[in-house]
Amino acid sequence: MWFILPIIGLILGIYLGSNITFQLPAIYIKYMSIAVLASLDSVFGGIKAVLKNNFDGTILLSGFFTNALLAALLAYLGDRLDVDLYYAAIFAFGVRIFQNLATIRHHVITNLRQRKALARGEKNE
Amino acid sequence: MSKIRWSIPITIVLLCLGIMLSLQFQAQTRIASDLTLQRTETLIAMVRGLSEKRQKLALEIIDLGAQLRSQVESNRDEETLLESIDLEMKKLQIVNGTTPVKGPGLTITIEEYMPIIYTDLLNIVNELWNAGAEAISINEHRITGYSTISVAEDIFSEANYSIFMTVNHEKLEYPIVIKTIGNANNLEKGLTLPGGIMDNLALFNAYPKIEKVEELEIPAIQKPVTYYFMNEYKPPEGTIAEEKKDEAANPLTKPLRNILP
Repeated sequence: MWFILPIIGLILGIYLGSNITFQLPAIYIKYMSIAVLASLDSVFGGIKAVLKNNFDGTILLSGFFTNALLAALLAYLGDRLDVDLYYAAIFAFGVRIFQNLATIRHHVITNLRQRKALARGEKNE
Repeated sequence: MSKIRWSIPITIVLLCLGIMLSLQFQAQTRIASDLTLQRTETLIAMVRGLSEKRQKLALEIIDLGAQLRSQVESNRDEETLLESIDLEMKKLQIVNGTTPVKGPGLTITIEEYMPIIYTDLLNIVNELWNAGAEAISINEHRITGYSTISVAEDIFSEANYSIFMTVNHEKLEYPIVIKTIGNANNLEKGLTLPGGIMDNLALFNAYPKIEKVEELEIPAIQKPVTYYFMNEYKPPEGTIAEEKKDEAANPLTKPLRNILP
């Protein structure tokens, strides 16, 4: 049951966020969305790392915050320079999220198959 | 051990993600509910609904204004009614003698040596009323519809048996002063016309002194009359209206009808 604590964290975060009186100014909504995308990417990356057994907490945390900030800054810079770096960020993070998800899926499925094979092997023996 | 090692960073990351997600979600819904992002049809419907509401409210304002105006008017009517009632009451008080009155008029002074009896007083008072007197008092006794002018005798002191005149059941002391308010000239003429009351009195060698006075004060009656049995009587409306109609139609019918059974 290793995933209960993170899920509780997610629910608590959503609760806190909906109870915060702070309202995001309309101009920053675009950058915030990019930051959210980057964060999602980091989270899926973290889960993938956990499954691959090469998890590093420092890398995850640093990646989470720097990715989010950099993505937002990049989008902002793009707006200033009149280059739609916004779409570049969406593309990059979107691709990475799907890759991470695919890896997670592969991993979960192979894990399940291994377990089943193991169970069958035990039965056969 | 290893589980705790990786679950804490992921929890922190997910906490932050949750905050960001809900903030973003709120902001996005806020923007979506912004008027500039609404569909044209919804906007039209909203405008229509609001303008209808506004019209209704404007009608209500007009309605309430009319109500207010009518209330103010009725209030004013009531005030004028009250004023007129007040005026009427004052008039009635003057007429009934329940308030002291003031005005120009005559004083008639009768000394003790003059051979005058109560009927002469009555005649003088009647003559004054005839001549247009508006208020009369005899020795500060106000003369009204309920006044009496009479004679009484002192039966308890046998030694000096005496007859005296009374007004409103009070003994009159000499000199008798009759005060009257009205047109002084008319009143004087009424008293002194040839063959009138003064001529009559002159036959008995009585010459009451008549004086014109610029400003007289006549007191109120001492005991106001209280009515226990008297009620206002209004004849049934139909009969009056019919009579009036008949009169208007043919003035001859009334006396004829009165004669016939």
